[in-house]
Amino acid sequence: MGQLVVNGLALGSIYALVALGLLLIFNTVQIVNFAQGQLLMLGAFIGISCAVTHELPMAAAWAITMVAMALVGIVFMVLVYFPLRGRPAFLVILTTIAMGIVLENLALIIWGPLPVSLPSPVQGPPLRFAGVVVSMHQLFIFATLAVILFLQFLFLTKTRFGILMQATAQDLHTARLVGIPVNRTIAVAFALGAVLSGIAGLLVAPIFLAEPTMGGSLGLKGFVVSVIGGFGNLPGAVIGGLFLGLVETFGARYISSNFRDAYAFIVMITVLIAWPRGLFGEKSSEKV
Amino acid sequence: MAPGRCALTADTIIAARGVTRRFGGLVALDAIDLNVPKGIVQAVIGPNGSGKTTLLNALSGASHADAGSIRIGGEEIFRLKPHRIARLGLARTFQNIRIFDNLSVLENVKVAAACNKPASFFDILTSNTRHRKREADIDLGAREALETIGLAQRADDRATQLPYAQRRLLEIARALASRPNVLLLDEPAAGMNMTESMTLLDTIAKLKSRGITILLVEHNVRLVMGISDRVTVLDFGKKIAEGTPSEIQRNPLVIEAYLGRRHRHA
Amino acid sequence: MRLELTSWPLFAGIIAAILAIPLLTQDGYIIQLLNIAILNAIVVLGLNFVTGWAGQINFGQAAFYGLGAYTTAIASKSGLPWITTPFLSAVVVIAASLMLGLPTMRLRTYYLAMTTIGFGEIIRLVIVHWEPVTGGTSGLRAIPGISIFGIGPQGQAQHYYLLVAALALAVSVATRVRHSALGRAMIATRDSEIAAEQSGVDTTRTKLFAFMIGAVYAGLAGCLYASSIRFISPDSFSGTQAILLMTMLIVGGMGSIAGSISGAIALTLLPEALRFLGQWYLVLYGLGVIAVIVMAPGGLASVASLSQWRRAGVR
Repeated sequence: MGQLVVNGLALGSIYALVALGLLLIFNTVQIVNFAQGQLLMLGAFIGISCAVTHELPMAAAWAITMVAMALVGIVFMVLVYFPLRGRPAFLVILTTIAMGIVLENLALIIWGPLPVSLPSPVQGPPLRFAGVVVSMHQLFIFATLAVILFLQFLFLTKTRFGILMQATAQDLHTARLVGIPVNRTIAVAFALGAVLSGIAGLLVAPIFLAEPTMGGSLGLKGFVVSVIGGFGNLPGAVIGGLFLGLVETFGARYISSNFRDAYAFIVMITVLIAWPRGLFGEKSSEKV
Repeated sequence: MAPGRCALTADTIIAARGVTRRFGGLVALDAIDLNVPKGIVQAVIGPNGSGKTTLLNALSGASHADAGSIRIGGEEIFRLKPHRIARLGLARTFQNIRIFDNLSVLENVKVAAACNKPASFFDILTSNTRHRKREADIDLGAREALETIGLAQRADDRATQLPYAQRRLLEIARALASRPNVLLLDEPAAGMNMTESMTLLDTIAKLKSRGITILLVEHNVRLVMGISDRVTVLDFGKKIAEGTPSEIQRNPLVIEAYLGRRHRHA
Repeated sequence: MRLELTSWPLFAGIIAAILAIPLLTQDGYIIQLLNIAILNAIVVLGLNFVTGWAGQINFGQAAFYGLGAYTTAIASKSGLPWITTPFLSAVVVIAASLMLGLPTMRLRTYYLAMTTIGFGEIIRLVIVHWEPVTGGTSGLRAIPGISIFGIGPQGQAQHYYLLVAALALAVSVATRVRHSALGRAMIATRDSEIAAEQSGVDTTRTKLFAFMIGAVYAGLAGCLYASSIRFISPDSFSGTQAILLMTMLIVGGMGSIAGSISGAIALTLLPEALRFLGQWYLVLYGLGVIAVIVMAPGGLASVASLSQWRRAGVR
């Protein structure tokens, strides 16, 4: 049972990362990116291209992937955000979904449909204690999540640019009026959001194999986590992610593994019915 | 005389007591009492942020008050959903024009004309006599409202094709089509020039002559004084004065509220 | 938007052309493709009620389509007379739409989108894993065809005419709803929910109604699908299909009856016509959808109605 907890938390950490990327973008431009899962997939495959196809060392593969994902994020912004500024949310959703379709099929063309594996950046024998096995990779996942959370906290609250980003997130128009380089902060949001998902992809691929269609369900789980935690709420997303990872792992073991993907939705629907604003409440308000 | 929607049980058609509304730490409405006699035009004025629109929202159900009692025509409406309040005979217009962009002018008004009768899908499916009669009634009621307001010739235009002032009139026509006993007008003259405002005044007078009670929120104080029987003045969510237009004009509290702003601390 | 027909000869010509198609081509494959296109048109017409008029984003339409198809297939394969299947499909679909709709009508756009996606996914998982009943991923074959008192259409061409008639019925109901208080209430709800409420419209009930009607359209289309194509599998009703249906509505023109139909037919035939593109079709399709959204969010219908308004001299 402890094993399930460990596995659940590791899985949940990945979901939390996807949600963090989603929320970074949402907090800044109020767009929910339905292609976040495809960005994860892209990160995984870029990593695989570097590490497996071109046999570069893992550190280089990771570095290249992160840079590439940042660029992808900016391209994404240009194609999706700028043309659709001010349009109703519904159309934005459709556009990001369409981008997801484009990315997924480009991936199918470039890398083919077969699942591919990516080695973990850390190798070594797993830890064993209290009847539980924790693999090196799982430890790496926890460590990565912790590091990212810490860096994100530092960045957003202690650096000048991070504070500018928070200002933009709170009120874009006023931020622009007071001279904040709004476009730059938006670009950074998209870039970082893509990088976070890319990292999630690099972490997922060693556990579950990578294939171009993997983005769909992982992206959706990222949303579910955001909903559970309450949109706009970063700590909520982390807790939500870990929670979902546990629910899924336990559900697959004790109820049915066939409906693994459904648990996420069931949890989300339950949460939305009881707390229409998410468990931790979202920040936006309605005007009459 | 205007056909009433419900039998009026009191001569005071709006009886609001202790209406309070808070937004976080801000008290937008502070235990407001409001009594509006049937058949008059009553204006609610006050500086920006005094709570006028919040009061209208509370009365119409658009944004419920936190506490208090509101009786329209004798019926308690506190916390009722807006469409229920509308079906009791209260209609309103909005400060930011909210017309239905994807419907024609006539259709806009028809939405309200159908006010009290929920659609029966079976009737629609079979297009039976009852359905056709109902549609004919709605059509008639809608056209009458447009006629009263003077927009009849634009009936088949898309609502978005109307110029600004006529859109305001469309909102009034729409409100009229639901055969209200009480009409709340939220800054109906905003953005209008002199001629348009005069037309508006005539329209309000016409509606009053039909027995509709009108509660008017308006910034243009001179306009208000010309048409109103009574005036209520709000400031910082409190009622600071109430009376006839001439009484209000002479009331020092009111003058101070409007002119003395800059002498107050935040 | 009222379907203005500017000339009777044009209208008659279109009807004649539609009716003549099976005479022009004996290729059963093409006619079956058209049949699927017509069925999709009915589903998208249903989606138009919910999303086009009432403004509720809905990625569950494919799930209702599938529920109708599977209910019909299972019922008629277990021996029930065909005539019962439309009613059974409608009942199942109405129940499902209430289950989904009642708790979710108050949700905001993003949450509604995800909830409907989730709903679709759950239905798909149930279909895929309930193998003894639904045949799992391989689907169900040899579904009995339409048969009322022993009479039913034989061959693709006869199915074609039947489906055209079904579509005509669907259009006539939709038109009637559009020009009734219910239709206006739906559009008002979307344009300004607050103003609609203040005008006496029970917006929650209206949205739920639109949802149910849309679901019934999809469910009945599913019934016809199972009975005419005679083979169904979960792939035809997946989340990808739900997205496809939504894009058909957008490309054709949200809120327009003619748009719903043209979008459905266009995006059903297009992949076949562009089959030589292989995987690139989907890439271009995605980019194309984005282009339409950015440049002509009203879809084909808005492009068409521009010329129509100009011709009618409306100022």
